[in-house]
Amino acid sequence: MVEDEHDIQAFLQQALTEAGYSVDVAPDGRAAEALAKNNKYDILIVDLGLPDQDGITLITRLRQMGVYAPVLILSARRSVDDRVRGLEQGGDDYLTKPFALAELLARLRNLLKRNAPQGSGELTRLRVQDLELDLLRREASRSGQLLQLTPQEFILLEFLCRNAGRVVTRSMILDKVWGMRIQPDTNVVDVHIYRLRGKVDGNGQAPLIRTLRGVGYVLQDR
Amino acid sequence: MSSRTGRPPVRSAAWRISLWATLAFTCGTIVVFIFLDRFVAKDIQRRSDAWLSGEVEVLGDVAERTPNDALYNRVVGEVAELASREVPEKGASQQPENDSVFFIQTARDGSLKLWVGAGDGLAHLQAIQESKLAAGGPISIHVRGFAIPFRVASDSMADGGRVYLGLSERDQRRVILNLRMRFFILALSIVLLGFAIVFFTSRRTLSHVRNITEAASHIGESDLKRRVPTSSRNDEISQLGDTLNRMLDRIENSVHQLHTITDSLAHDLRSPLTAIRGKLETSLASHDAEHVEPIVSAIEELDRLTDFLNKSLDVAEAKADALRLNPSTIDLDKLLRSIIDLYEPSMNDRGIRLHLHSATPVHIVADEGLIHRMVANLFDNELKHLPSGCDVDIHLQELQGEARLTLRDNGPGFDPEVRQQLFTKAVKGKKSSGHGLGLAFVDAVVRAHAGRVTVSDLEAGGASIILSLPLAAHEPDPMHTAHAG
Repeated sequence: MVEDEHDIQAFLQQALTEAGYSVDVAPDGRAAEALAKNNKYDILIVDLGLPDQDGITLITRLRQMGVYAPVLILSARRSVDDRVRGLEQGGDDYLTKPFALAELLARLRNLLKRNAPQGSGELTRLRVQDLELDLLRREASRSGQLLQLTPQEFILLEFLCRNAGRVVTRSMILDKVWGMRIQPDTNVVDVHIYRLRGKVDGNGQAPLIRTLRGVGYVLQDR
Repeated sequence: MSSRTGRPPVRSAAWRISLWATLAFTCGTIVVFIFLDRFVAKDIQRRSDAWLSGEVEVLGDVAERTPNDALYNRVVGEVAELASREVPEKGASQQPENDSVFFIQTARDGSLKLWVGAGDGLAHLQAIQESKLAAGGPISIHVRGFAIPFRVASDSMADGGRVYLGLSERDQRRVILNLRMRFFILALSIVLLGFAIVFFTSRRTLSHVRNITEAASHIGESDLKRRVPTSSRNDEISQLGDTLNRMLDRIENSVHQLHTITDSLAHDLRSPLTAIRGKLETSLASHDAEHVEPIVSAIEELDRLTDFLNKSLDVAEAKADALRLNPSTIDLDKLLRSIIDLYEPSMNDRGIRLHLHSATPVHIVADEGLIHRMVANLFDNELKHLPSGCDVDIHLQELQGEARLTLRDNGPGFDPEVRQQLFTKAVKGKKSSGHGLGLAFVDAVVRAHAGRVTVSDLEAGGASIILSLPLAAHEPDPMHTAHAG
């Protein structure tokens, strides 16, 4: 992780360690290059505004050194630079500050998954506890009971199931389910979750969809 | 853009300039022509009159001196015949008889004594007698049976008779006509040549202006790096180009300055926000349910603050026409459907019904992120301000090369205090929550995309917001089109 702000460094290191990653921190580009030379990393988190050089320049130099680990770019800039878009197309990802930890972790997982060898094809069924999703027939059932879901609700539930046990934020849901990076100042996402919960957890069963206030939602997998 | 190259030349400035120049040139030529024509005609008249007067005198002399015997008619006739031969008989009328000259000698009583010419000369004599021709100065006389008048000079003789020499004005006229014809053809070709030269030179000159206009019209909201073309010639037009480019340099500089300020402001605020949010989030995990409430609301406040920060900076940049865009082709119809899908449950919970009227895809080239946020803003607005039981009609259509999005509701309408300055800055109604940047942000985004927003209260109650955005020029093109900002 290359980040010059001490405060951000500290909490990110703590959060990442808690999430099970082992983290090396470099405060600037030169230190990052030195670390990358002597270690092999699975993933890099690079802040764009570094004291000694531009984050993009650092990434280009690391690539030239033979470091091909995927990069998650952190940016406090307002507009998303074209060069960042270029990198994004190259398989890397970016996140603008301030961000939710859950989102950072989700993006890290995505990048790692993308980089890992592909598994045995796409899943056709998802199963979380007694909730079962048939991805081909677009049907969901709980304890064998078919749930009456709208197509959009199914996509939302599928997204929650794929991230079962992990926190998803509202902006992640908006991005993945509705394809928008927006920040509504009304509770539109909560209403969708509320309705979905009514259908999934409505029959007096143990609630699956939990709200973590201030953070997001989680579909419990145990 | 309006100033395309495909304009008909008839409507161009070069055409107008050439027309005026040609008109002036033609008028000048006509004046010169009339003057020359008069001068030449007079001169020819004078010369032929001089010849006539001289010749009639000679003939009178000859007639007087020739003894009045049997040979008289022949002798005088021969002389007159010879005189008539001096007249150049040009061109067409190669008739056996020369009818352009005649000679008449009258006796004292005015009866015809000698006639030399074509025909019997009675008509000529009659015409002469009717015209009261005095001795001397030749005058024009119309003879019956001849379309063209004769120029006739006379001289009196000692015996009281008179001699008349007539010369048809035909040749004179033919010369003049010939002259006019040549002059006309010459003048016409000079005028046409002049027109062509003026047209092409002014078009060439103006094409530089058009190139500048064309280039300047492409230097839009997000593309300030381009410059208008300049030439090495130090004329007015290259000066115009240079001046425009210097102006663009200054604009680019100030826009760049603004970007630097907003960027560093954003950076300086966002870094601590990130740190605070991160710390709050990590501490959230280590507290039990009772104590999380303040932390959670702090996080929510932080998110609202971030959103406010983003929107204010966007609005500030848009007000300065300096919003940075990453254009791509967007289908508004698809976008509306997914936004409505997102907002409908919340609207229904509050008793508001949404009706979408849109039949076909409507493509615009715009910054996707900004357009998404802008449309979401419109719906947030409706959701926050409409009382229960209202309907919102959403119309999307293509009108005159524009995508027009209309949101019409039957709610209470806009707060009259607020309406005057909806777009100017952060305003909000008394009962409104939120930071009041909503419509200013909508306006900013639409204007940055060369569109416009109109807001009005409806007569039947309720409010309407109309957005017009330019349509995409071509059929959808998946990646970033046009210029990348």
